[in-house]
Amino acid sequence: MAALRLYSVGKAAHTVLNHAARPVAIAASRTFWKQVSPPDPSYEWRDMTDKAANTIFILEICKGLGITLSMLFKEPATLNYPFEKGPLSPRFRGEHCLRRYPSGEERCIACKLCEAICPAQAITIEAEPRADGSRRTTRYDIDMTKCIFCGFCQEACPVDAIVEGPNFEYSTETHEELLYNKEKLLDNGDRWEPEIAANLQADYLYR
Amino acid sequence: MASILGSCLKKASPSSVHFLKSSFLKHVGILSCTRGYADVWVPDKEFVEQYKRPVMFPNEETSQWKLPPFNQRSKVVEKHVQNVTINFGPQHPAAHGVLRLVLTLDGETVVRADPHIGLLHRATEKLIEYKTYLQALPYFDRLDYMSMMCNEQAYSLAVERLLNIDIPIRAKYIRTMFGEITRLLNHILAIACHALDVGAMTPLFWLFEEREKLCEFYERLSGARMHAAYVRPGGVDRDLPLGLMDDIYEWISKFGQRLDEVDGVLSGNRIWIERTKDVGIISAEDALNYGFSGVMLRGSGIKWDLRKMQPYDAYDKVEFDIPIGRKGDCYDRYLIRMEEMRQSISIIEQCLNQMPPGEIKVDDRKVAPPKRAEMKNSMEALIHHFKLYSEGYQVPPGATYTAIEAPKGEFGVYLVSDGTNKPYRCKIKAPGFAHLAAIHKLSKGHMLADVVTIIGTLDVVFGEVDR
Amino acid sequence: MSVYLEKLRHFRLAIKQHGGIIGAYLNFYRTDELKWGDLIGEDKFGNKYFQNRHYFIGRSRWVQYSDAVGMDYDGSQIPPEWHRWLHYIGDEPPTTAPPVKRSWMVDHKPNLTGTPEQYVPYSTVKPKITAWEPPKA
Repeated sequence: MAALRLYSVGKAAHTVLNHAARPVAIAASRTFWKQVSPPDPSYEWRDMTDKAANTIFILEICKGLGITLSMLFKEPATLNYPFEKGPLSPRFRGEHCLRRYPSGEERCIACKLCEAICPAQAITIEAEPRADGSRRTTRYDIDMTKCIFCGFCQEACPVDAIVEGPNFEYSTETHEELLYNKEKLLDNGDRWEPEIAANLQADYLYR
Repeated sequence: MASILGSCLKKASPSSVHFLKSSFLKHVGILSCTRGYADVWVPDKEFVEQYKRPVMFPNEETSQWKLPPFNQRSKVVEKHVQNVTINFGPQHPAAHGVLRLVLTLDGETVVRADPHIGLLHRATEKLIEYKTYLQALPYFDRLDYMSMMCNEQAYSLAVERLLNIDIPIRAKYIRTMFGEITRLLNHILAIACHALDVGAMTPLFWLFEEREKLCEFYERLSGARMHAAYVRPGGVDRDLPLGLMDDIYEWISKFGQRLDEVDGVLSGNRIWIERTKDVGIISAEDALNYGFSGVMLRGSGIKWDLRKMQPYDAYDKVEFDIPIGRKGDCYDRYLIRMEEMRQSISIIEQCLNQMPPGEIKVDDRKVAPPKRAEMKNSMEALIHHFKLYSEGYQVPPGATYTAIEAPKGEFGVYLVSDGTNKPYRCKIKAPGFAHLAAIHKLSKGHMLADVVTIIGTLDVVFGEVDR
Repeated sequence: MSVYLEKLRHFRLAIKQHGGIIGAYLNFYRTDELKWGDLIGEDKFGNKYFQNRHYFIGRSRWVQYSDAVGMDYDGSQIPPEWHRWLHYIGDEPPTTAPPVKRSWMVDHKPNLTGTPEQYVPYSTVKPKITAWEPPKA
């Protein structure tokens, strides 16, 4: 017993000395490389028995199955889609819309910035002066199958006419239904204006 | 000859046929008997007498015959055999997209693995030469479509280097933070799909729940869940929305537990270890020679990470460790990815804590467009706005190779400018390309099922390999 | 244990909300789910909107599609003002914060693809070239 105590005192003294010597010792500075590879298997008796026990009693498999089982009691994370919908933000870039001024006048003045910036060249614009002398588009086509939804058109638009609205449920059965013309885009705008206006209002400080 | 004879017989009259037949048969010495048993051949007298005298002597014909070999065995006829060649992909779910791997198999062992790529080639590099610097940005989202913002970051850094501008510190932190979120997005997918391919389906469900939340962060920041088009030359697109940083903090404080769960299911699991340990080993020397980067390089024990070696954005202002492996097998690379995710959490937390106030774009109106409110009130800002969104900005002539540490490895952009508003040349160095090129080296001598493990550990995405 | 008692309570409340066992069964058949919550409002198409903050975000707001559509419910049948609330873009439902009405706004339409009323593209400009009319001799 005394020998054991002596031994433990020696061990403690060693630790104390080690700590005391640390500030003056020449030690490698902390590196930012972290070795994650497991060490080579040791052939100490103790480690071998541990390993054998692990193999026989399938300990790690039981641990994994326990974790899997615990998931059974958690609340499922799935949404019941058409009834519950996932969160979106005011910045969401969905289906395109052409907006109007509150008076009902269309905003687009055919500056063709959106046509110029569109990386996919999905927008086609033709313009003519109207009977009252104001410049408006006669053709505003977006090929939604070419569009890559980068949002550059709504960024480029100086009058907030073309916006990417919050709607994403416009999948179609045929290709041609996605070749939007000006009427369709204006109709989208007339339908989605309550939400588009609110979203622009929510995000105006950042834009 | 026989057909000619047959046709002659047909043409001849029946009597002549009879004559022919009988004389022929007489010559042979066989009598055709037509009495009761019409077809039964009965030996006649002539035939029997033939054998009364010695019959076997070498005549001019039999002298030509060869003697059989002394041991009565003839030479074995060799069959032509070859290894089975199969197509792995392009529709195979474990091929991660459109990889067509032509495998030559010896039984179940891979003799040769030959990747055929190009099924997702979209000529991105050529298209970029015809776009302005801003328009080329969305193409980078679609290269490695599992780590979108990192690609944008590489391109933006390249353009900024050519323009010789420095971006505001807040933009740097936002980029760093979302670069790490992108790393999480990528590694979550890499580990979950790797485990799924190997046979462990459960981690996929847990990790994709978290990935969905990361996609929501992307959406709140940029408006798109994947193809963000957020990191722009000269800063970032918009500022962080209010409350996003709180939610990111809330999320990272819980994500460590999710990682621990995956760790608990996979890391010690003997099936996982059997399937990944000592599979797809690449030595440090080979890894360097094959041009590996990122996790594939660090798995072999080479200490190389561009975030430490040549820090970009705010990586020199945050503290993190780089995990390295030792053996260069799939298990080490899995452990490195897990540890990198933990380090990413730490980087994101430091970014959240250190996030400085200020601008998010450079104040140079020749590069970054003005804010909308300014654009609507100031004529000068409106002119800048029009100029930037129609013509774009001119970049001084020069060339740069700018690389970042994307989640998959070194993602580099070699950009040559000739002084116009469009890049003269844009070469994209994708890490997955070099990794895929070594698939023969990695999978030779392994089983067919290990090829799946190796493709999983390579973490190839065909948007960047095929470009 | 209390968690499971709580679940039982929710089950009872859900059945009560749907009007007894039969109503709850019919709703379960339609939506594969039984939930209870506060009725926030109803739009002009007859879709009812519910909220219960007991569930996590993503499940805490839901819609019960109008009985008129039966089993042909679709995500695009939700009008924009409720779309915003249902997608958690804003917390104010249109019952408390009604959107501004303009005369040119039109009623919401669901996605009409595959029906005779589907959108068919057409040109909005006069053709630039016309076929040559042979002169009448």
